[in-house]
Amino acid sequence: MKILIVDDFSTMRRIIKNLLRDLGFNNTVEADDGLTAWPILEAGGIDFLVTDWNMPGMQGIDLLKKVRADENMATLPVLMVTAETKREQIIVAAQAGVNGYIVKPFTAATLKEKIDKIFERIDS
Amino acid sequence: MDSSNQTSQLEIARSLVTALENNDEQLAAELTLSLGQSQESALFREVGKLTRELHDALNNFEVDARLIDLTENEMPNTRDRLNFVITTTENAAHKTLGYIDQTLPLTSELKKSAEKIDESWHRFRMKELSADEFRQLSKEIEAYLPIVKQHSEQIHANLSEMIMAQGFQDITGQVIRQVIDLVGEVENNLVQLVKVAGKHINDKPKENKQVDPIKAEGPQINAEDNPDVLNNQDEVDDLLSSLGF
Repeated sequence: MKILIVDDFSTMRRIIKNLLRDLGFNNTVEADDGLTAWPILEAGGIDFLVTDWNMPGMQGIDLLKKVRADENMATLPVLMVTAETKREQIIVAAQAGVNGYIVKPFTAATLKEKIDKIFERIDS
Repeated sequence: MDSSNQTSQLEIARSLVTALENNDEQLAAELTLSLGQSQESALFREVGKLTRELHDALNNFEVDARLIDLTENEMPNTRDRLNFVITTTENAAHKTLGYIDQTLPLTSELKKSAEKIDESWHRFRMKELSADEFRQLSKEIEAYLPIVKQHSEQIHANLSEMIMAQGFQDITGQVIRQVIDLVGEVENNLVQLVKVAGKHINDKPKENKQVDPIKAEGPQINAEDNPDVLNNQDEVDDLLSSLGF
């Protein structure tokens, strides 16, 4: 399972990477916004996308929409980990097809719970 | 022109008409002259008023001068300061994460060895260990104790470094406080400027400004006061499940 972590702050990428490692996901790659993430996604081999919303260049919500619009990636599981907490934003993310939405600051338990839930849904 | 001045000018004008009707040329000439003088004094008053306005305007330029200074010097400086906050917090976070990365394997190693020794010790207490096995256990304990000491010292040192790394809060707090003061000053100056300019401008600020409802805003400050903002993961989960998630 190869996971792409997209966040403009390197510390947040590192935290997510460490938490994922504790959950047994050792294969991770990183990008600092949607623009740098896109070629990595296009190259293929990414099984799971964890992305922030507010980033320079391409924002997470636009990356999500782009992923859903691409026939090769339309079903890629996407987890949003973000400080954006406006009702309208969460509704838009849900409509755009996000698989999970975690608000920062978050805990290791929340990350585990949401990831488990995403895979449960995919498996069923 | 004030009303008393107007009244006196009207009186002079009426006297002038009377003088002309009576063919009193000398009086008419004197009255014409005094009408002109009154006109001149009105002109002087106007010049005086303009001078005062100019003086006020020049004083107001002092507000503008500070604004120019704020724009040209303080603002770029503030950007540097805020970038400094980002760099400092980033460095502190990486430093702390680095020490955590160093410490976790030490604790895992201690735990693993202790579990192994604990198991053998338990068997020894149950008289299940052979003499060879006991010799092996003794060796393991002998090797383990200095490692515990060494690792504990290292863990202690790492934790101390993590404590030191929290010093960023003080440093960045001071810088942010400076920025808050500056923003306050800019606000006051802008209010002054709007007051000065407001004498000439009657336009009210445009209301119903178009806002993008999903524009990324980062962490919400005073979220409790905003009904459009969710306060925690539970509220987000509730909203998502209400959407059939």
